Amino acid sequence: MNPDDFEKQLQRQTMRSIPGAWRGEILDAARRARDHQLSTITPQPSCGWREFLWPCPQAWAGLAAVWVLIVVLNSVTCEPASAAKGPNAPRAPEVLVALREHRRLLAELVESPTAVEPPKPSVPGPRSQLPQRIVAA
Amino acid sequence: MSPRDFLVRVYDEHAQALFAFLLNFTRDEADTKDLLQELFVKLAKQPGLLEAARDERAYLIRLAHNLAIDLMRRRAARGKTYEQLAAEGASIFAPAVEPDEQAFRQALVAALGELPPEQRAVVHLKLWEGLTFEQIAETLDLPPNTAASRYRYGLDKLRRRLRPLYEEIK
Repeated sequence: MNPDDFEKQLQRQTMRSIPGAWRGEILDAARRARDHQLSTITPQPSCGWREFLWPCPQAWAGLAAVWVLIVVLNSVTCEPASAAKGPNAPRAPEVLVALREHRRLLAELVESPTAVEPPKPSVPGPRSQLPQRIVAA
Repeated sequence: MSPRDFLVRVYDEHAQALFAFLLNFTRDEADTKDLLQELFVKLAKQPGLLEAARDERAYLIRLAHNLAIDLMRRRAARGKTYEQLAAEGASIFAPAVEPDEQAFRQALVAALGELPPEQRAVVHLKLWEGLTFEQIAETLDLPPNTAASRYRYGLDKLRRRLRPLYEEIK
């Protein structure tokens, strides 16, 4: 489409120039924004753990609280168990007597091998008879 | 090229055209400055934005147009539309020496203000940026036929509005 005279007349109109003071202001603002972005991106050496914990600090705090609770409950429940061991201490000689009795019985069994019949080795029948027995049953 | 040099180069090559486009689109000098600054801040933060652009100028105008649309929506939410701003009308043209020419420019600014912003954007890119309809379509993200029809409607309105003055200075 060739421009007509009216279009040419419009195209001839001189545009206003951009105010000169804007250049410094806009470029400074852009530079500040870039510097700010760089300073926030640069990793701090001490904040590794912070970055690791940052996504969900409440969850980590909750997990730590659960562990503390487990440790406390464990220590509380272990104390009565150790206290319950006290009355069992005088029974130790009875246990020793029972242990000696077991040893004596074991020695008798070892010394008289005929007293105990060894189990007969079970010889399996021919495989072909198994279906016949099942059918007969 | 350092990031600072990159921004200076982009500013020196394209800021004038972006200024004219944004001023014609927003009709407000303060908004134009804010949008231009927002555009350069964006470029400073993402210097790779222009690397993939085939035509830097067209890509920058597209970015500027998108920022202006966003601003227009925010304005509409606050109750002040660009139609109201267009009526206020900051001039995009330099003052003319000849009185008739100056009168024509003032009438042209007023007539441009009466166009819908999207028609004004197409008219601006066609007349004062010299883009083809295909380039305008790509820049403003619309079909080429739509760009052509918006231009025709816009130009017809300007012609009707400015005919008496145009006949005088012709």
